[in-house]
Amino acid sequence: MTSTIEPATSRAATTAPSGALRRPDGLIRNLDVAGLVDAEGGLLDRAIFTDEQLYRQELRRVFAPSWLFLAHTHQFQKPGDFFTTYMGEDPVIVTMNKDREIKAFLNSCRHRGARVCRADSGRTKNFTCTYHGWAYDLQGGLVSVPNQDGYPESFRREDWGLVEVPHVETYKGLIFGTWNPESVSLRESLGDMAWYMDAMLDHDDEGTEVIGGVHKWVLDGNWKLAAEQFATDWYHVNMSHASALQVMSPTGKKPKDEIVHRTGRQYVDPNGHGAGFPVHPKNRFDAPTVHEHVDYDALRERLGDARVDGPLTNGHATVFPNFSYLPVNGSIRIWHPKGPNQIEVWAWTIVDRSWPDEVKEAQRRYNLRTFGPSGIFEQDDGENWSECQSIAHGFITNGVALNYQMGIDSEREDGRFPGVTSELYSDAAGRAFYARWRTLMNTPAWHEEDPS
Amino acid sequence: MTHSVLDGTRAGQLADRDIHFEVEQFYYREAELLDDGRYADWLELLADDLDYWMPTRTNRLRRQQALSIAARGEAGFYDETKESLAWRIRRFDSGMAWAEDPPSRTRHLVTNVRVRHASPAVDEGVTESDLVVKSNFLVYRSRLEREENVFAGQRADVLRRLTAPDGVTDGRLQVARREILLDANVLQSKNISTFF
Ligand code: FES
Ligand SMILES: [Fe+2]
Repeated sequence: MTSTIEPATSRAATTAPSGALRRPDGLIRNLDVAGLVDAEGGLLDRAIFTDEQLYRQELRRVFAPSWLFLAHTHQFQKPGDFFTTYMGEDPVIVTMNKDREIKAFLNSCRHRGARVCRADSGRTKNFTCTYHGWAYDLQGGLVSVPNQDGYPESFRREDWGLVEVPHVETYKGLIFGTWNPESVSLRESLGDMAWYMDAMLDHDDEGTEVIGGVHKWVLDGNWKLAAEQFATDWYHVNMSHASALQVMSPTGKKPKDEIVHRTGRQYVDPNGHGAGFPVHPKNRFDAPTVHEHVDYDALRERLGDARVDGPLTNGHATVFPNFSYLPVNGSIRIWHPKGPNQIEVWAWTIVDRSWPDEVKEAQRRYNLRTFGPSGIFEQDDGENWSECQSIAHGFITNGVALNYQMGIDSEREDGRFPGVTSELYSDAAGRAFYARWRTLMNTPAWHEEDPS
Repeated sequence: MTHSVLDGTRAGQLADRDIHFEVEQFYYREAELLDDGRYADWLELLADDLDYWMPTRTNRLRRQQALSIAARGEAGFYDETKESLAWRIRRFDSGMAWAEDPPSRTRHLVTNVRVRHASPAVDEGVTESDLVVKSNFLVYRSRLEREENVFAGQRADVLRRLTAPDGVTDGRLQVARREILLDANVLQSKNISTFF
């Protein structure tokens, strides 16, 4: 299911004709963000959450070159199955072609630019633009142009197919794409993060499937607030989710001290990914039906003790830049950026394909009641992010540095969990997240003219 | 074809004005309890075997419209029993449910009420004394300083008359089943912290 497109020969996103078009200098300006992120000292300038110009730069230099989550392979059963989503703010169609390959195309007609598909998902033979009727097949090829004889001799339909996402790859059921023709492979960009992801994706040979569609909702907050939290922030759980923890504890009282002061580890990835998890066996907040069904001995055999005692107890994770998940709940989500001040959250529930129906149903309901817009945990998360964002435009407010110093210098290789890890309560993965963001923001992407 | 013609009952027929009035008053009372945050009292209006469901809705091509409402077992905003609603409500009482602390202001408007006598031959799992009711709602939420949300949609209810221990109908209505269709694709709200 890898992309079959030739490596792009031009530095543009597409080899499409652009004639005499040239963007003037000054239309796009890049800012040096080195002074906005002190990853080493654990300080952040709040402008990175509010500034419109920085946001446009993020779309060019953080989103466009990165591997971005698109969908789950289970959403594509037959040729013509499609799912529409976004990469950054770019609308894309993900579809299975006749050769059963997953492809992704920019969802924008090459004529005047309308979306060629306005359904969320479905099955189709082609994508016909409803403006003037240009029609594209499942390979993105332009197959029909009404009144084509009105165009000059030089017009060739082959030049005007949908813009294809040059690389689409999967990791254990999760489909990612990148616009960067020169990107490293998805697997390489995940690095040791893949070991942590397997705690959710690789319980047995059958893998995972999506259950029941996508929850979509909007939040008034910068996308990094959510992505960062899922990378690095177990810290908020006891306070933000106090009510949910209380309701879910067997006694209905405050959670025990050993829960509040739980120990665990946080994985800190050099590419900005992060994952945290308690290592205390009492830290299970999973659906009882699922818990009773799971064969932990078999998991120990397959994944090893460290993973079962670590990321399989509970936890949170982000794959840089904007894909996050909860390994035990099977809640996976993407934080679509909608300007500096808004996120559109899209969340799926995934389950083990091998589970009996009643176990899958228990996981689905558990997720709906805990995470998702009405979930008793997620409700309070939404409140936090909109709260941080709503006041961040104040002039004085915006200039007061934010603190990311928890667990500074705690990063080390502990011999049990792969890569560099820190404590459960730590900002280490957050510092790495912003260090990666800083690097990308200050590095010209493949689509930029070489300044030399 | 109305069932009632065949068996001489009211099954399937529109309710008369007295029952209609009673149902409307029931809904207005319910809305008042929700807007006043009296969730424990609201729970009393719900049957013990309640089925409370609010599916997500997707944009589909017209020929695939049948798929535009998530099926049972698919993604929903609510898929609840009375017990799970009670669990959600207990959270508000913890004093630490920050998404509703300070509480939002809500206004539940219920309109376009259409009341029919249930028809066991047509509607699944009902008895003849049940009412099958459709209504439209508009729920406004004002949160903190300037956050505003509007939730619009339709409810399809089965209302049941309570039976007293002596077997005689005691007259009070309860919601036995509620299907809530929100007229939204991407939910234009950071969360759903109220009920419908
Ligand atoms: S914009 Fe698509 S055919 Fe004209
Ligand atoms: Fe949270």
